[in-house]
Amino acid sequence: MPGGPPIVQTVHLLGISVVMGSAVLINLRVLGLALRSQSTEDLIRRLAPWTWTALPLLALSGLVFIVAQPYRYFDNPIFRLKFALMVPAIATTIAFHRRPDARGRLSVVLAVLSLALWIGVVLAGRWIAYVDYLMPVE
Amino acid sequence: MLANLWAWLEALPLAEQIGATWWFPLLESFHVLSSTFIVGSILMVDLRLLNLAGTKYPVTRIIREVIPWTYAASAVSVITGVGMFITRASRYAEIPAFQIKMTLLVLAAVNMAIFHLVSARGISNWDTASSTTSAARFAGACSLLLWVGVMLSGRWVGHVL
Repeated sequence: MPGGPPIVQTVHLLGISVVMGSAVLINLRVLGLALRSQSTEDLIRRLAPWTWTALPLLALSGLVFIVAQPYRYFDNPIFRLKFALMVPAIATTIAFHRRPDARGRLSVVLAVLSLALWIGVVLAGRWIAYVDYLMPVE
Repeated sequence: MLANLWAWLEALPLAEQIGATWWFPLLESFHVLSSTFIVGSILMVDLRLLNLAGTKYPVTRIIREVIPWTYAASAVSVITGVGMFITRASRYAEIPAFQIKMTLLVLAAVNMAIFHLVSARGISNWDTASSTTSAARFAGACSLLLWVGVMLSGRWVGHVL
């Protein structure tokens, strides 16, 4: 279907945008870098539903690509790396959702970790298509 | 005129370096990262203007706290975007999807400018209200649609290059 791939990819990108505007923004808030006038606790409660709406949308649009070309993905080390980063990224996000009132050094460490993981997931996602640059075929 | 400029850009050593190496995917992956951040942060402002989120907070405060991040991400997007553009400038310039993307970006900027210069006048009257003016709602809706269009046309460029 012409136009199919870019449309599904755009849905995927919009899902990522919502994760950026919710989970990633929460990390920036915990680090005191963004939205400082809003309470962290309130922001987390307000933004958590957005993350949980975006993630199924991302899974669904992502699944379309996997179903279309399973070999391209399952044999791809960057694809595995993306998932290896995504599981702990989601875990750190859940940790903030569970304890929106958490303060102190641990939440700062968790926010830095979560930020790095989510950035890694997005970068790895784009690099799935460029695996040959990193691991040239013999 | 422009054709000469595109040819000159393509002949730059930097353009050849990016086009022939892993620099291109590196720039592209950061372009995706910054672009999704732009849309994610603008979405927050748009939804507030549409009274769909964050109605507890004044519009101006959300704008003041979110837009600097949007600008920072935009700087990354522009730099990485130009880096990719110069590798095949004349080809990009003739692709309809690319032309549409640039047009939508200009419209998004105009929409923002109109909002700040015109629609935001007297914002103190409705800054904290959970019902914004129709002009503000219009600006929010336009912004939302324009950015979805930028995303779609941008992704399209990669498929027709």
